[in-house]
Amino acid sequence: MIDDYREAAPLEIHDLTVAYQKKPVLYGIDLEVPKGSLVGIVGPNGAGKSTLIKTIMGLVPIGSGWIKIFGKSFKKAITRVGYVPQRESVDWDFPVNVLDVVLMGRYGRLGLLKKPSKDDKDIAMACLEKVKMSPYANRQIANLSGGQQQRVFLARALAQESDLYFMDEPFAGVDAATETAIIEILQELKNRGKTLLVVHHDLPTAKQYFDRLLLLNMRLVAFGPTEEIFTMENLQKTYGGRLTILSDVAVERNLGVKVD
Amino acid sequence: MFFQSNLHAAKIGELTETSVFEQALRFLSLKDPAVRIAVLGSIFLGINCGLLGSFIVVRKLALVGDALSHAVLPGVALGFMWNMTKDPIAIFVGATIAGLIGVTAVNLIKDTTKIKEDSVLGMVLAGFYGVGIVLLTMIQNLPFGNKSGLDKFLFGQAAALSVSDIQLIGSITLLCLIIVYFFYKEFLVISFDFSFAQSTGIPAKAFHYLLMLLLTFSVVVALQAVGVVLVSALLITPAATAYLLTDRMHRMLFLAALFGMLSGLTGAFLSFLGNDLPTGPFMVVAASSLFIAAFLFGPRYGLIPKFLKRKNQSYQIEVENTLKAIYQVLEKNNFKEEGVLFDKLAEHRNESIVDTENQINKILKMGCATLNENENSDSNYFKQKLISLTPTGWTRACEIVRNHRLWELYLTNEAQYAADHVHEDAEIIEHVLGDDTVRKLEKMLNFPTRDPHGKLIPGLKYLEDNGTHNSKSAVTQI
Amino acid sequence: MIENFIPPFNFNDIFIEPWTYGFESYIWIFLMGFFVNAACGLVGNFIILRRMALVGDAISHSLLPGIALAFILSSSRSTTVIVIGAISAGLLTTIFIEYIYKTSRVKADAAIGIVFSTFFAIGVILITMYADHVDLDADCVLYGEIGFIPFDERASFAGINLGPIPVVRMAGVTIVVLLLINLFYKELLVTSFDVGLANSLGINTNLFHYGLMAVLSVVIVSAFESVGAILVIAMLIFPGATASLISHRLPITLGLSLFLSILYSLIGVHLAIWLNCSIAGAMVVVAGLIFTGVWLFNPTNGLIKKMGLTRKLTK
Repeated sequence: MIDDYREAAPLEIHDLTVAYQKKPVLYGIDLEVPKGSLVGIVGPNGAGKSTLIKTIMGLVPIGSGWIKIFGKSFKKAITRVGYVPQRESVDWDFPVNVLDVVLMGRYGRLGLLKKPSKDDKDIAMACLEKVKMSPYANRQIANLSGGQQQRVFLARALAQESDLYFMDEPFAGVDAATETAIIEILQELKNRGKTLLVVHHDLPTAKQYFDRLLLLNMRLVAFGPTEEIFTMENLQKTYGGRLTILSDVAVERNLGVKVD
Repeated sequence: MFFQSNLHAAKIGELTETSVFEQALRFLSLKDPAVRIAVLGSIFLGINCGLLGSFIVVRKLALVGDALSHAVLPGVALGFMWNMTKDPIAIFVGATIAGLIGVTAVNLIKDTTKIKEDSVLGMVLAGFYGVGIVLLTMIQNLPFGNKSGLDKFLFGQAAALSVSDIQLIGSITLLCLIIVYFFYKEFLVISFDFSFAQSTGIPAKAFHYLLMLLLTFSVVVALQAVGVVLVSALLITPAATAYLLTDRMHRMLFLAALFGMLSGLTGAFLSFLGNDLPTGPFMVVAASSLFIAAFLFGPRYGLIPKFLKRKNQSYQIEVENTLKAIYQVLEKNNFKEEGVLFDKLAEHRNESIVDTENQINKILKMGCATLNENENSDSNYFKQKLISLTPTGWTRACEIVRNHRLWELYLTNEAQYAADHVHEDAEIIEHVLGDDTVRKLEKMLNFPTRDPHGKLIPGLKYLEDNGTHNSKSAVTQI
Repeated sequence: MIENFIPPFNFNDIFIEPWTYGFESYIWIFLMGFFVNAACGLVGNFIILRRMALVGDAISHSLLPGIALAFILSSSRSTTVIVIGAISAGLLTTIFIEYIYKTSRVKADAAIGIVFSTFFAIGVILITMYADHVDLDADCVLYGEIGFIPFDERASFAGINLGPIPVVRMAGVTIVVLLLINLFYKELLVTSFDVGLANSLGINTNLFHYGLMAVLSVVIVSAFESVGAILVIAMLIFPGATASLISHRLPITLGLSLFLSILYSLIGVHLAIWLNCSIAGAMVVVAGLIFTGVWLFNPTNGLIKKMGLTRKLTK
């Protein structure tokens, strides 16, 4: 069997349902992302795009179903996963400079009690160079523009040297130059065989940027190569209003029979 | 050089040394003037703190109350220095000013630095308290310092309240009641949505500061009875208890005042029983006990009712699943049989006869089924007994099957799920669909009769027309 | 009337004597003040960054019943028992607070208020009811007895007198805190900055959360008898908050916190001698004054400077 020699898919999701409090839910998601793809996760507000990523990262509890990363649980595959959260998710007044933040990407590899070495610092600097932020290495993070902050996050993800990346709205509120810079890096990572899932909210550019799209509106509407998926019909299904009953029931379901 | 004062947590019961029972009687008879004053004080304070505490709890300002209660300490000391006596008015004025400076300092530091709110509150709380301690220890170390009385502000002593203290507490309580009564709707709207309140032309900021002023008043008058450290508990705990029990603001105000009163009285009573027992801590423990009771047993949000509800629900689910299984076995035979045999049901559910028997006993108890001898069978062995659904049981079974199949249909038709992916989800959802949702689903799906697998969906209309189950009614429906 | 309260300022009495005739006493008071402020300030930096200042406040109050119970149950002043009592009280407080606001509709701030006041009240009841067994009095709880430090039993090692036991213990705690921060700096940093990232890096965020709370409990319990339950909050927050107005780099704010601790302790001791007041209270007053000074007059981003700027801009 050829399959035995092939590595497990970077991301495999089976029948995933997530419902928490009264926030967006995911319903019966089934998905297998092939290696080396640059996937745009697209859908209207409240479609559960961020929830999907957070669930994969173990930040939101799974209602039912399972997720596998390179054929393993998230905990076991953790060193192969890189994460770029939404920019607002951290406190930008935090007393660290740009290089400190990028170095954090190396912490997972270092393990307990080890300090970042010269090599780690060199890698972090190289990653900063890639996002054209090396002149700002010693700057306090509060004194950066939105686009610069996003580049720092990207550099940190690069420093993680992962095989599978999750990025939550990396293009939100950034300038055009940053947007181009980010997409170039994403392309480069993809060409090096990395797998990337990127939450994105702008339809026209989604078609341009990603080679695969994941259309999401609580349930998985469609997933596949962009040219096949980007159809009027699919988009209407995705953006054609929320399935109100689905979200009502998800709340009832969560309150009623909690599936722990 | 090194000073030590006899600062004991305050207590009421230094009056006599009698048995606990006699002490209790004495308290309840209200014979002693000290007891009467303590009781009156506790009632006023409870009402006062409960009312204002409710607003700060719903506005998530609970710890502003805490910071405020510590911030008044330097004011108390300065008020005392004014003429070296425990003059209630001077202390009241000093403490109010210090409290307001504290609140303003919190806002100022928060607005002009990047320091987060929690740290700011901590700094103001402990910093002002430090100043207060310095002033208090200075007073205590003065040769002519009136040493009695001031330490009471730290732990509180309800019995040390004087008649003039009670007059002050009473008037402040009355003032708070009047203001809250007349401006209830303004306080309500600024608590719920501050910027909306501003947009409607209500002077929201003015009401905010009015609330802070009243809060400071309450803290200051409560100080003597409860003490600086624990006064915030009297603001927060009764209000949080009320918050667990009701969803309406005016009821919350009433309950919080009631709980505050109860805590105050219980605290005063308990500290009277023993000889060496402080008042403030007992009030707090009483308030916390009420909170724990509400936390555990509150009908709406209590842990135990929630737990029981969940347990009850899983019982319901088991019953419903049994009914559904019976329906499915009947359906297999095109509803030709009057009932279902035990072993057939066990086989269908892929479980042991004993398990099935347990489940059947549950539905028998609920009057959803009857157990009959099987006419066709020679044996009396219970495996061969026939389970027949009663009209109620039949209706419930149909409802559950309908919910399941409607949901499968909804997922395939509306949410574009593959037909082989919907069963698992429907297994859960069937138990939680409410009548309203079912009606909406039926309408949206245009009153369907077949699920994605081609099976019959027992319709609502059908359920209403036919209470009984027999092969004919089911078949004619098809 | 007020002028009667402020004793005359005598330079010799206030600045010279403590370091000559009174040296044997004041050096220990100063050192104790420094170690308390340093240990609290170092841990406090992380507490501030995690926005847990008020949880720190809660823990410092909640330790009282833990300490009291340890006294009552062990009937001796066994350090181990007291430390165990303190850690359990501290962790229980954190767990109760989280449990209340996660399982009910009561918000975090109210949960903090309820839990700490209950613990503290129970503590006060215990120490008054079992006053015979508990070697703690109300003074100690409210503002500590750092002034009695020189009279404490001396610790000696290999025949060398090291100093009063509480000072030696506090020095040990400070060194351990420094060591832990040094060893786990990067984990503390990343779990404070970005929990999501920390999780995705495989760092056990819960372990560091509760570990920090346990260390905090040990620091507070060691400082408890010297500065009391409430002033210790000031010592937790003021160094880090003041330093954060001056620098935006964590290693520097940690260093500044140590420097500020020296100032608080040194100036605090002299202020207390002058005013004849609580020494711990005086240290907090100094901390408050230094904070106010930096806040108003800091040349780069002080309030006065900012107000000047806005005036210029609006002109």
